[in-house]
Amino acid sequence: MHREPQVETDTWQVDGVTLCSRFLLGSAGYPSPQTLREAIRASGTQIVTVGLKRTLARGGDNGFVAIVRAALAEQGARLLPNTAGCRSAREAIELAMMARELYGTAWVKLEVVGDEYTLQPDPAELVEAARALVREGFVVWPYCTDDLVTCRRLLDVGCALLMPWGAPIGSAQGIANPLALRTLRARLADAILIVDAGIGAPSHAARVMEMGFDAVLSNSAVALSGDPVRMAHAFGQAVAAGREGWRAGLIPVQDFAVATTPVGGERVLVGLTDPPIRDPHTTRASRK
Amino acid sequence: MDATIAVALDGHPHRLAAGTTLALLLTSLRYEPSAVATAVNGRFVARSNRERFELHEGDSVLLFQPIAGG
Repeated sequence: MHREPQVETDTWQVDGVTLCSRFLLGSAGYPSPQTLREAIRASGTQIVTVGLKRTLARGGDNGFVAIVRAALAEQGARLLPNTAGCRSAREAIELAMMARELYGTAWVKLEVVGDEYTLQPDPAELVEAARALVREGFVVWPYCTDDLVTCRRLLDVGCALLMPWGAPIGSAQGIANPLALRTLRARLADAILIVDAGIGAPSHAARVMEMGFDAVLSNSAVALSGDPVRMAHAFGQAVAAGREGWRAGLIPVQDFAVATTPVGGERVLVGLTDPPIRDPHTTRASRK
Repeated sequence: MDATIAVALDGHPHRLAAGTTLALLLTSLRYEPSAVATAVNGRFVARSNRERFELHEGDSVLLFQPIAGG
């Protein structure tokens, strides 16, 4: 009788919150609020990122945030506000304060842009902002590059985890520097590491998880795809599959072939001579 | 004539009655207090402080709202 393999619940914890899904989803760029809601549901995510923007117009956000709140309430999930657009530690700190008040959470995805072309973080401003926000009681999720030393500084000042990029935001390149990410995973073995940015396909996410990372965040790859709901589902499955692959233990990469069928090293057919043998079941008479 | 002050509201000139508080400004703009976050001169002003936060000539007021984000 066929028996399903036993798969125990694989959870992780941040700030005392236990999470089952290892896929985080960004909420920007969807064609409609309804599509976003369905994508959240299809992905199984438990954390959705949101932002803040200066406003004077009363147009609001077309209901996106209300949709996100409703969808998360259905799944028992949470919001993670970001400080996107900030160029200095001061800006990021002030925006984080506003986010905490508006969203009612001390969680903040800390972003401090250092370059307009790559949108990569300014490491000095990022660490300064993280230090200040931790002191103010925030649970800081810093978006960072794959620089090991900066990552260590962020952990030293009290960040709850790290969110190194896979590649520049929205670039869909996947893992631009696998060596750097492998180094982070190896050198920061006890840290929660979530690859954020640059993920373009479910296969990228699966590969990240196979490397032993704790979670993946994606926005553009889902929101801007041909079918965001289907893509959200695909990402949820890919992250879970990569995680299971890592837990199962991947075989090592080899430079040479290793036969899988155990036929041994001897020739299969003994007595084999050149030229190629004829079909032993066919006689010269029967071929005329 | 009642005294007025000039402030910048989201970067645009805006005249207010002297003594206007941040809370009154939001009311005049018909914002629900919980719908926006506020900053004056680059500093966050908590919702609980708006009632007693009096605006002055030259202040720069910014309002922030929740949006979708990555």
